[in-house]
Amino acid sequence: MNRLRIWCLTPAGALLGGLFLIPLGITLAYSLMTRGPYGGVFSPFTWENYSRLADPLYAAILWRSALYAVTATTICLFMGFPLALFIARSGRRRNLYLSLVIVPFWTSFLVRTYAWMFLLRDTGLINSMLLAAGVIHQPLTLLYTPFAVILGLVYGYLPFMVLPIFATLERLDKSLVEASADLGAAPRATLRHVIIPLARPGIMAGSILVFISSLGAYLTPDLLGGGKTIMIGNLVQNQFTSARDWPFGAALSLILMLVVMGMLLPLRRQSGGML
Amino acid sequence: MRRRAFLLSLAGLGCSRSKDRRLNVLNWSEYVAPETIPDFEREFGVKVRYGVYESAEEMLARVMSGNSGWDVVFPPNYFIRPMVELGLLAPLDHSQLPGAGVLDPRFQSPPWDVGLRYAIPYMWGATGILYQSTLDPAPQAWADLWKPSFSGRITMLDDPAEVIGACLKKLGYALNSEDSLQLSRAQAEAERQKPMLRAYVNEIVRDQLVAGELLAAQVWRSTAMRAMEAADGKLRFVYPREGYPLYADNIAILRESKRTRLAHSFINYLMRPAVAARIALTKLESTCNAPARALLPASMRNNVTLYPPEETLARGEWFQPLSANAQRLRDRIWTAIKSA
Repeated sequence: MNRLRIWCLTPAGALLGGLFLIPLGITLAYSLMTRGPYGGVFSPFTWENYSRLADPLYAAILWRSALYAVTATTICLFMGFPLALFIARSGRRRNLYLSLVIVPFWTSFLVRTYAWMFLLRDTGLINSMLLAAGVIHQPLTLLYTPFAVILGLVYGYLPFMVLPIFATLERLDKSLVEASADLGAAPRATLRHVIIPLARPGIMAGSILVFISSLGAYLTPDLLGGGKTIMIGNLVQNQFTSARDWPFGAALSLILMLVVMGMLLPLRRQSGGML
Repeated sequence: MRRRAFLLSLAGLGCSRSKDRRLNVLNWSEYVAPETIPDFEREFGVKVRYGVYESAEEMLARVMSGNSGWDVVFPPNYFIRPMVELGLLAPLDHSQLPGAGVLDPRFQSPPWDVGLRYAIPYMWGATGILYQSTLDPAPQAWADLWKPSFSGRITMLDDPAEVIGACLKKLGYALNSEDSLQLSRAQAEAERQKPMLRAYVNEIVRDQLVAGELLAAQVWRSTAMRAMEAADGKLRFVYPREGYPLYADNIAILRESKRTRLAHSFINYLMRPAVAARIALTKLESTCNAPARALLPASMRNNVTLYPPEETLARGEWFQPLSANAQRLRDRIWTAIKSA
């Protein structure tokens, strides 16, 4: 029995070690090294990449990224919870609705983001329809705005909110809901005092997933924000491309990981083991 | 056990044999004509493994290890010196390159690789302004991209060297300036311009210009050529008055390559005027190959955007590699512009 367990855990363990721990170790080592003149890393070892982060410019970018991520998470929560509740209660159609939530993952996120560009641009579908209907006379500037960035984040990560909430609602003991109704609670009171508290682990897990994904997003601010807002993900990306400063990029991504972990540890217990 | 070892060694033999007859070419995406590679394979009886990259930084990162498995790459001119210093490029053997004499005189011994020791110039490009031909007066200078009347309907490239470069040229400074005072003035110009910009975007700007959503944009000339082809006279390109960036892509052989003879044959093949002309025709870029240009249809051969007159060319400035300190300073400036 024990041997079987070891065999079962080996692939996952190797994957975690090979694809997570080793790269993390490399990132840590890079972050302590000196930038090569044209990319790459060299000795000597130094703390300089971390001391550079004291520049208020970088703190401002982290703060802005967090604001975007919180906004996207909040919107996802208010859209995702009702949707998850609806799906959990839709009986035989439940699997159909669930697969509709997942269908967008069949195409690449990049392609779907390009699709949004074609919807939002001045001569795009939304503006053309509004113009044709006579609602507006000048195209609205939708693309390359903070609105477009938030829209892209919400669109991209909404399933990450819906699925964990759905999972908790599905497991929810229906007799508790019935008991609440039998004892005279209005549907709204049942929702507030019974369903939402019981769905809390899913809500926490979904919020954390959306928050982390949004915080590190770099495609969406580039393509839908028109590169006019820089988020922490873009900053890291730039270090590995145009700036060719791998050690600083490594330090930035490790600090981002630490910040995220620092925020998550207190929340972890509340997600009831879903994370 | 023994049998397995035998089979493995057989498989190994098979691999090494086919490897010797295969050339590994890593190029920019869409940078040859459709028949360029198949024709080479047929004529020389070899296989070509063809890979593409979207940015020079990506190419460098891929070959930096020195055992990447690629033989031929196409670095831009400002990557030649860094790659030589990193020990990545093999010196060319000109006795195997009889075709090199066909290069345009400007590229016979360019400043970034005097005597063509490491690379053969392939195609060259530039950065300028693409604008709606209905604009009156037409933009002629970088400074025109700061006009309040264009506000909200112009874009700049999403590229630090290009945006900072245009600001430096607007102020009358050198494109490759490393002077911190000049660079901070350039930063102030960029921050002043940012509220007037629709976005910082690269190739994707083409459709928006063609559709008339934008009035003017800073563009790479390759993007401009494709946009003008699609826009049917509605768009025009200008080499800005204050001066503008020039860049050239070059064919080079990696030091790690074990097939340098075949790689030299490949370079010779690409320098054949007929082959180079087909590539220039498909890609709407300027070839560095003089007889190839002569083979192009007159509309392309005499196109002033692709082959501008001497006095226009004289305003251009080649991108150069920057010192580590200047790169770091410019990245700090770029981050500040983007977060302003």
